[in-house]
Amino acid sequence: MKYSKTLNYNGFFGSRHSALIIVLGIFFIYPFIASNYYIDVAFFFGIYALLGLSLNIVLGEVGLFDLGHAGFYAIGAYTTAILNTKFGIPILILIPVSAVAAALFAYIVCSPIIHLRGDYLCIVTIGMGEIVRIALINNPFDLTGGPNGVFGIDFPSLGGPFVIDSSIEYYFLIWGVVGLSIVGLIRLQNSRIGRAWNCIREDEVAAGTSGINVRFYKLLAFVIGAALAGVAGNIYASKLMCVSPESFTFWESCLMFCIVLIGGMGSIPGVIIGAGFISLFPEIFRPFAMYRMLVFGTVMILMMMFRPGGAWPRKRGGVEFTSLLTRMREKDA
Amino acid sequence: MKITKYVVMVGILLCVFMPFNVMAAKPVVIGLQGPITGPWAYEGQMAKQSCEIAAQLINQKGGILGGRMIEVRVVDDAGEPKTGALAAQKLVGQKDVVASVSTYGSSVCEPASNIYEKYKKVNIGYGVTAVRLTQRNFKYFFRTCGRDDSQGKFFADAVPAKFSAKKIAIMHDNTAFGKGLAEDTKRALKSMIDAGKVQIVYYDAITPGEKDFHVPLTNLRETKPDVWYFTGYYAEAALLISQARDIGITCPFVGGNAAINDEFVKIAGLNIAKGCYMTNEPLPGDLPYPEAKEFLKAYKDKYGEIPSSPWPIYAADALNIIAYAVDKTGSTKSSVLANYLRDKVNGVPGITGPIGFTKLGDREGVPFYLYVVNDEGKIVISQ
Repeated sequence: MKYSKTLNYNGFFGSRHSALIIVLGIFFIYPFIASNYYIDVAFFFGIYALLGLSLNIVLGEVGLFDLGHAGFYAIGAYTTAILNTKFGIPILILIPVSAVAAALFAYIVCSPIIHLRGDYLCIVTIGMGEIVRIALINNPFDLTGGPNGVFGIDFPSLGGPFVIDSSIEYYFLIWGVVGLSIVGLIRLQNSRIGRAWNCIREDEVAAGTSGINVRFYKLLAFVIGAALAGVAGNIYASKLMCVSPESFTFWESCLMFCIVLIGGMGSIPGVIIGAGFISLFPEIFRPFAMYRMLVFGTVMILMMMFRPGGAWPRKRGGVEFTSLLTRMREKDA
Repeated sequence: MKITKYVVMVGILLCVFMPFNVMAAKPVVIGLQGPITGPWAYEGQMAKQSCEIAAQLINQKGGILGGRMIEVRVVDDAGEPKTGALAAQKLVGQKDVVASVSTYGSSVCEPASNIYEKYKKVNIGYGVTAVRLTQRNFKYFFRTCGRDDSQGKFFADAVPAKFSAKKIAIMHDNTAFGKGLAEDTKRALKSMIDAGKVQIVYYDAITPGEKDFHVPLTNLRETKPDVWYFTGYYAEAALLISQARDIGITCPFVGGNAAINDEFVKIAGLNIAKGCYMTNEPLPGDLPYPEAKEFLKAYKDKYGEIPSSPWPIYAADALNIIAYAVDKTGSTKSSVLANYLRDKVNGVPGITGPIGFTKLGDREGVPFYLYVVNDEGKIVISQ
């Protein structure tokens, strides 16, 4: 009992329930006061938040440099697009299908490269992301429509009369999924798996020696991360109603990488802040037109100079350790 | 007492505001969604400049609707589908935007036009050639540019008649582009074939990268074509034509828009290259219409040179036709404009030639031209 209670402090809400309620309140009220344009901006914020969270598992938790995450995102989006347009399967049913497809792809592709470390892995993942994109352009088996992509994707539904087709509904769909993912990821962070991941990030050899199956846990991170990216791809595809290879360029992988770095590696609230930065910034600075990427780059550099740990770095205290001490003291007493 | 007071007040207010209202008529705002930044920034910038010039020309002539000026409101879509959707959302959210010129790139246009359709706003694409865009039965989507299959259609319409050809040879190179064009051409010729006017005597592919084409060319010679259409790229085209003339194929050679350029003339040599034809979109400088001359002059005066790509002038034409429709209908209501554009606009003079729209929203008539290599090796419009 006591154990689980102490664990809660490790989560990012902790005792800050009131702050959480305010944030949630804003999220619920926002779409009813904002115009459709700003709701859509918030929707894409949500997509990037989900992508950031998915990459955060690989990059933040395990410390694996993955610059090909857009590949998984693309697999999810194209799975949805092709199954929906060819067979008419409703989008919401395809969410788990896309997740599984992306996860399976990650498993197959990452198995042989999982032993690579640092920059070497980074280079291979860049290649992987690019191969996915180029394969999509080459239109294998006449499935992906080449550079034009797949079009005519339905609105999300379960096949019944309930159809998500307005900006507000999309907003709640994506943030609902983000919310669920956050809950799941916090539980994961605090689990044996999460600790194993962090241990591998800090020292792979030490982790291996203390009995952690390094290969398994690294692959698991890739698979879970890819699955979440696949879900993001599904929602993205149904929102735009078409997918094309240029949505999944190397730049997209870079943006995800930036999200995690800006926010703070392994920190869930940090990732949300990073996603907000990445998705809102270009919109706010729209009037600068051609200078906006310049401003963007400058801000990134300044950020890395003055807050190298990210906007909201992950604090991982020795909670388990204290609880262990308390228990030992209780035993002694 | 009280009533007179009100009457006086209303009278004063009327006096103050009436003339003011008449004098400062609100501008008619037309949106332009284009890739101002990103990989196609070049195209977007030129489209922006073109639209501004087009608006400026209309405004200099006194505007539309009896004196209202045209204002172009530019929204950047960075040439990205996602940003395009946001840009469209931004434009439809602005109540004073009458209609939108949108955009360059078919995959950007697709999600954006979905949004315009949903919020019922006329949008006219200027660099979107994917055939499927107008196959969706959208009410508010139009385009001033041609389609991917326009070139094939143009060939069928113009070439057999020009050379009074009965036997046509089509050769492609198995690339997505070359094969696509060859198939479109075949499809476009079908009605003429069915009517017995022409026949395709040769339809085959060569392998790009090869240097010796004598085998396929000998086959081609046996069929004795009246005209020979090659839909591949210039490197093969130059070798093909040299070797063909060697073995005595004398029929006119027509290339697709990738087959003939200055490099083609260089490789094949002027003697062989001259008199070779090509189907091509007209470049801005080649347009014969008075509207084009006026537009290009204004453009050159302001920016020093004319647009180097064919697409920006389609954006200017899209803006012109929106302004025309608003002026003629006297309405800024989307449904009125859409119906007018679809049913009533026909042969309206534009920069890129007469403008009209089909029931689907495609450009009526095909903005393609037959070019020819002249005696100096320059590629000019064939008379």
